Amino acid sequence: MKALILVGGFGTRLRPLTLSFPKPLVDFANKPMILHQIEALKAVGVDEVVLAINYQPEVMLNFLKDFEAKLEIKITCSQETEPMGTAGPLALARDKLIDGSGEPFFVLNSDVISEYPLREMIEFHKAHGGEASIMVTKVDEPSKYGVVVMEETTGKVEKFVEKPKLYVGNKINAGIYLLNPSVLDKIELRPTSIEKETFPKIAAAQGLYAMVLPGFWMDIGQPKDYITGLRLYLDSLRKKSPAKLTTGAHIVGNVLVDETAKIGEGCLIGPDVAIGPGCVVESGVRLSRCTVMRGARIKKHACVSSSIIGWHSTVGQWARIENMTILGEDVHVGDEIYTNGGVVLPHKEIKSNILKPEIVM
Amino acid sequence: MVSSMDEKVVAVIMVGGPTKGTRFRPLSLNIPKPLFPIAGQPMVHHPISACKRIPNLAQIYLVGFYEEREFALYVSAISNELKVPVRYLREDKPHGSAGGLYHFRNLIMEDDPSHIFLLNCDVCCSFPLPEMLEAHRKYGGIGTLLVIKVSPESASQFGELVADPVTNELLHYTEKPETFVSDRINCGVYVFTPDIFTAIRDVSSQTKDTGKSATLRRVSSVEALQPATRNSTDFVRLDQDILSPLAGKKQLYTYETMDFWEQIKSPGMSLRCSELYLSQFRLTSPQVLASGDGTKSAIVTGDVFIHPSAKVHPTAKIGPNVSISANARVGPGVRLISCIILDDVEIMENAVVTNAIVGWKSSIGRWSRAEGVYNSKLGVTILGDSVAVEDEVVVTSSIVLPNKTLNVSVQDEIIL
Repeated sequence: MKALILVGGFGTRLRPLTLSFPKPLVDFANKPMILHQIEALKAVGVDEVVLAINYQPEVMLNFLKDFEAKLEIKITCSQETEPMGTAGPLALARDKLIDGSGEPFFVLNSDVISEYPLREMIEFHKAHGGEASIMVTKVDEPSKYGVVVMEETTGKVEKFVEKPKLYVGNKINAGIYLLNPSVLDKIELRPTSIEKETFPKIAAAQGLYAMVLPGFWMDIGQPKDYITGLRLYLDSLRKKSPAKLTTGAHIVGNVLVDETAKIGEGCLIGPDVAIGPGCVVESGVRLSRCTVMRGARIKKHACVSSSIIGWHSTVGQWARIENMTILGEDVHVGDEIYTNGGVVLPHKEIKSNILKPEIVM
Repeated sequence: MVSSMDEKVVAVIMVGGPTKGTRFRPLSLNIPKPLFPIAGQPMVHHPISACKRIPNLAQIYLVGFYEEREFALYVSAISNELKVPVRYLREDKPHGSAGGLYHFRNLIMEDDPSHIFLLNCDVCCSFPLPEMLEAHRKYGGIGTLLVIKVSPESASQFGELVADPVTNELLHYTEKPETFVSDRINCGVYVFTPDIFTAIRDVSSQTKDTGKSATLRRVSSVEALQPATRNSTDFVRLDQDILSPLAGKKQLYTYETMDFWEQIKSPGMSLRCSELYLSQFRLTSPQVLASGDGTKSAIVTGDVFIHPSAKVHPTAKIGPNVSISANARVGPGVRLISCIILDDVEIMENAVVTNAIVGWKSSIGRWSRAEGVYNSKLGVTILGDSVAVEDEVVVTSSIVLPNKTLNVSVQDEIIL
């Protein structure tokens, strides 16, 4: 089976993290974002993944060779020379997605994390026999998104309504599709929107079915949602493979610690914390609702909450980091410093307090 | 006695590196700061062309931390253009401002120069190098510093010094003092004899012996973060370790410039320095500047540089202090005042750009306005590369990182 992951553009919403790495390679729960998706696809028998990108292919390709070898799955890139929208990249990658077997192929959106119930989706697709299946997820405020109006029992999609002013339904497109090769015949090789052009066509022909995504769903393309997404992900990990989470007297709630990370004495870690490879958390540190990326060091007695500490950064002794502070790569916060929502670009030193949310270039 | 006709001169320009100079963001996200265009030429071009005026110049070295490939193209192009060998040397680790010079002493001394100029790339001035060399020969010391008088309030940002009004000897030097010492400051342009290498070596062996630094100074935390390299020839700072101790010993002298001097530390300063260099072109090479009266070409007022490949509509009005780079397109009725327009920018009808820097490949929509306010929190407006400002949008005193589209007006904001 084949799959296409829509990686797209510059990841500007995830800056400053994306100033150091392209978005799919930004770590989430101690793994590059895209690896979560590639592993889920491999688990249902996908043997080739095509990444639709338009930015920094060289950086991506180096990492991908690594994943290819470790996961034993073929990974190729399909590079857009101009932004092709959400459907155009499928047409661009046509030759890679159709292998003559007639099997459907997956399309995933790279910003999304969920439990990836892909096996259930394959069953659902076979059962209804239609041309295309999409995952939808229930949200509290549907008018922020594109709502999928569907028949509740069969899942047959009637129509899409973009940002409806009146309530038409509470299910939105979760960005996970399973499509028959015939769908590619309906997509022209030009910038196209899959929601505005392709799916409505298939829905009109009664061929589009929606499955409600069990479990959590989050678009982690921006820092606030990244932090919420980590909570949902760790929650799901607690239910499915609790052995992966760390336990101990110094752990509260769901905490994921890479085996090469070191944690000192007298710390209190959690809830909802991910500590990456090679990190050092010195003694007396409090961490909650935060991500500490590869190679970072949190010095003694510091307190970090609701923040992201970028690769190889350091947080000084007795420093207090909170309220959506995002430290880019190689940022060094001095001892005793307080930052409240500072967004700091890579290779900086913070030597004075950031009292209210501010971007530090 | 060797006649001055046989004496060769080598110039060394310190260009810095990527992890320093974060003050030049967001422009430095795309291009090394030394290559950023000021008055139509890369920043480092100005000291390089000034070096060309030194009699018997044998070689120019650019010393920095950037990857070699970032300078490879520029260095070969400029060597061809100016017909003087320019070479980029990459420091493997921080050596300090004097340590860097010492580290490459063998290469520098290859041509057996009698004198060595040391310049900082981000200094904007008239570079009176031949005159400095002549004065230095008369003084007979091991080094001569270019100095300038500034306002007493601003002096503490720099190295303050005291010079003997008759002999011009450097009597006292102190870097960024907290109390007022003098209104004469160090411009960051020096000429040395090869004895400077001995002086640097002596300082560092002194440090090794005593185990403490030559001066009691609060160490900047960047330096403190270096592993203890300060006790070796590896890390020697010019100001604190050489100039301060040697002041008052009849070794160092000063040459005062009465022309302009600025440091190009921030993007806003690059606009100000562009203005200074453009006005200098008016005196030294006026043919480089643009002119026009609205008939065949756009109205030009004040000092303006327009690259030959740029297209400017005749109904536009450009200047003063505007620099337009290659392949930019300026549409009908556009007004540009005090700005730097980089390569491949498109400015559409009736737009206004003032006190701003517009990055490579950006586009400015019809009737939109990009405006900076010098003394505001963020200062001049800076658009990174490939930024699209849509029609009728106003961007005021804001900084926009690359690849963003602005469809609503913003003021005093950083857009990541």
